[in-house]
Amino acid sequence: MMGRMEGRYDVVVIGGGPAGMAAAVGARDAGAGRVLILDREPEPGGILLQCIHSGFGLHYFREELTGPEYAQRFLEKVVDTDVDVLPGAYVSALAVDSDGDKQVRVMSETHGVSSVAARAVVMAMGCRERTRAAIRIPGDRPAGIYTAGLAQKLVNQMGYLPGRRIAILGSGDIGLIMARRLALEGAEVVGVFELMPYSNGLARNIVQCLDDYGIPLHLSTTVSFVHGRERVEKITVAPVDDHLQLIPSRAWDVPCDTLLVSIGLIPDNELAQRLAMRLDTNTGGPIVSSSLETSLPGVFACGNVLHVHDLVDYVTNESLLAGQFAGEWAQGVRRPVDNVRLVPGENVRYCLPHTLSPGRYHTLYMRAKTALQPCRIRVGNLLERTLPFVVPAEMITLKIRPDLLDSYQDDTLRIDIVPAEEGEPRA
Amino acid sequence: MPDVEHYTCLGCPMGCPLELVHEGDEIIEVSGHRCTRGTKYARQEFVAPQRNLSTTVAIHGARWARLPVKVVQPLPKERVMEVARIIHALRVEAPVEMGQVLLEDVLGLPGAAVVATRSMERLPDASG
Repeated sequence: MMGRMEGRYDVVVIGGGPAGMAAAVGARDAGAGRVLILDREPEPGGILLQCIHSGFGLHYFREELTGPEYAQRFLEKVVDTDVDVLPGAYVSALAVDSDGDKQVRVMSETHGVSSVAARAVVMAMGCRERTRAAIRIPGDRPAGIYTAGLAQKLVNQMGYLPGRRIAILGSGDIGLIMARRLALEGAEVVGVFELMPYSNGLARNIVQCLDDYGIPLHLSTTVSFVHGRERVEKITVAPVDDHLQLIPSRAWDVPCDTLLVSIGLIPDNELAQRLAMRLDTNTGGPIVSSSLETSLPGVFACGNVLHVHDLVDYVTNESLLAGQFAGEWAQGVRRPVDNVRLVPGENVRYCLPHTLSPGRYHTLYMRAKTALQPCRIRVGNLLERTLPFVVPAEMITLKIRPDLLDSYQDDTLRIDIVPAEEGEPRA
Repeated sequence: MPDVEHYTCLGCPMGCPLELVHEGDEIIEVSGHRCTRGTKYARQEFVAPQRNLSTTVAIHGARWARLPVKVVQPLPKERVMEVARIIHALRVEAPVEMGQVLLEDVLGLPGAAVVATRSMERLPDASG
């Protein structure tokens, strides 16, 4: 029930975005009796609520939905499965009792400061945007510099236009989508600047968000200085060389009153750090077993707090699983500890989960370091899969059958992504 | 003498690079697609490009100032800005249900309804 929080639950889910909602449904489906979602926003739904464009749900709902539609459809499932949801609630701490139960410390608009007992906890807090500070853009410190996602919330939910003449640094999908949104709302988008020689966004977003609106994309170019006393007045941009070093002699000034930065996402892992959880320096999220359990027994993680996903549909599927494992854990199911550790090898930035067990189905998620086409994914000497291409911006999923590890003796398993050999047929 | 047009398919996130060969107005061949949406897209793009539109309208009496909306069918590309301006002039009053039609046949385009893409309840303390 919306707005209800009692003292004791089988599973408490921290975060009510797509990951948290799916984890709650997964836990209920696995038989957990009482499930609570805590969310710090005034309503559940997470970042989907501000993603008003379509392109969500093609995998999970088998139709193309806008973000708010995806969120509302899923929230209906949550409410149908009798999950309690408390919005306006911030989790400040998590403690583990001697009997293994968790105490979740909550600050809430309606319930004040209180504690909730939980057998299992699912972390589903999503991710944050990197800010100007993360890349140390030199210059003045005027008003008018926003992360792209914050600008999205201002425009799409709160009804504020952040500026009239807007420059965007970073060509990931959020930056591209915001370029179109601001153009539609009557702002002038003076250009999108991208440090790398290629865009990290989808090809279709370059077309439908920039080309359609005549917005220029400057590749291998970055912001070298921000000018303005009270408010942004202009930015200096400059091309970079092959080593990503600025070429100041070719810099030019771009008059604008606003700079949006869209320069990447990082898992929101402050709680994980406070709990001294083991973290993966490549993903920025916790290290998890094949049950998506963190180094703290009975605490699970899923969605963008675990690793940043490309598609919400993938978040949903991963989180349904995490919820299922949490629900089983709450009912006393204890799986044997994993005995094989996955190791990212050649051209693999990270792979998840971090450990595996024989005799179970696994879905492996991984990202390549550099683009390759065609290529082969090698899982130790057990499995090989040919792919037409890999790019860093697109997550790779690989399903593993239960018998794969049956006669595997080693305790580590290395994953490599290597060029396909000459003359090999493409998959 | 046949000419070639290059498109990026907008049908799904794959974004296939498409090639359409034509002689004048006559389409001879489409290639580069990985599914049938690609051929359909390239032909439409050649004849009369279309785009989907999602945006927001002002809402009164709700938690947020803006209500997300979409046009239920693709619009002629060159009229998207015009339609956006018409939608932006709308003012709605909470409560609103997801799927509720706020405007029918926008710009006189048959079937081009503007619908809410989420529900928004009326806040208890919202005045008149």
